[in-house]
Amino acid sequence: MEKYDVFYKSSKDGLFAYLLRMTGDYHLACDLVQESFARYLHRYSNIGQASRSLLYTIARNAAMDAFRKPKTEYFEPEDHADQKNNPEQTVEDRQTYERVLAAIQQMGIFDRELLALLSGADLSYTEIGGIMNISEANVKVKVHRARIRLKEILSDGGK
Amino acid sequence: MDYLSSMYIDNELNLGEKVQFIEKIRSEEEFFQETVGLLKQEKVLRTQPERLKLLIPAESRIRPSLKRWIGNLFRPMIYVGSGFALAALFLFNLTPELTDATDQLTTAGRFVIFEPAVSRVELTGTFNGWQRMEMKQIGTTGYWELNLRLPAGEHRFAYILDGSRRMADPTHPAREKDDFGGENSVVTIPLST
Repeated sequence: MEKYDVFYKSSKDGLFAYLLRMTGDYHLACDLVQESFARYLHRYSNIGQASRSLLYTIARNAAMDAFRKPKTEYFEPEDHADQKNNPEQTVEDRQTYERVLAAIQQMGIFDRELLALLSGADLSYTEIGGIMNISEANVKVKVHRARIRLKEILSDGGK
Repeated sequence: MDYLSSMYIDNELNLGEKVQFIEKIRSEEEFFQETVGLLKQEKVLRTQPERLKLLIPAESRIRPSLKRWIGNLFRPMIYVGSGFALAALFLFNLTPELTDATDQLTTAGRFVIFEPAVSRVELTGTFNGWQRMEMKQIGTTGYWELNLRLPAGEHRFAYILDGSRRMADPTHPAREKDDFGGENSVVTIPLST
């Protein structure tokens, strides 16, 4: 259990970053993090070595399941944490961030997933290839194309 | 080899590729501009506003406010937290609310458990003939709760995680093995006066 605790702590933020960009939905992403770890622990707690690729694969499936279900409406998170910081900076950050998040949602699921997997900043191309079932060489090319595509979407003002 | 800039961003360049990258940056203005643009874009993409951080409270963060919140509502008899994400909390309110005849025989009980990494928690016990009762999630805090009125006497109960994983309350010391190799928590509700 000690091992799982360490694994949980070191993986949760990266996994959340991935799920947030995949879904574009804060609450859904929070739920899916919990769901993914639960599934991981429940089915694979005996595999010995903690596997990040496996965790992401599970999270990916959980996200796909969620896409098939009717969307749940949530309240927006409150801005309590923002009040401590510079309000103008925060509003600007928030707008920029929302613009990027909206732009990713306009991309195809494949490109979106590539960028989402990278946004946690803890997976290698090899691991990403394993999760998405494509070759590492393919990841190199596709990641770059996805980034260029995102740049185009953003420079078109999100349209 | 345009994707060298993405490999650079993702720390995927080997030494040979680093040489190529540096030479390309130096000789091609367009490639330089593109790389800078993509780097900045990636920076924005990976920065997360504070308010959108993952909301699964660390124990240290949740405890003081939770304690206060509980303090306002209940007089906890048992309140022990364990040191891990599976920490659970069980508490009982022994102040009977005497509103009608039935209530005189029961005591308001509140079951709370901290289980951030599951999608469903149910409560089962002798007080409901071992039927499963859905616990409600408290927002996105990772806590689950259920309020019940319990008759006086000794009760056995357990939590069921994700529909299949059965677990005694990990923070409640009184336990008893059942006939199937599992464990139940045991709680005694005194007769209310």
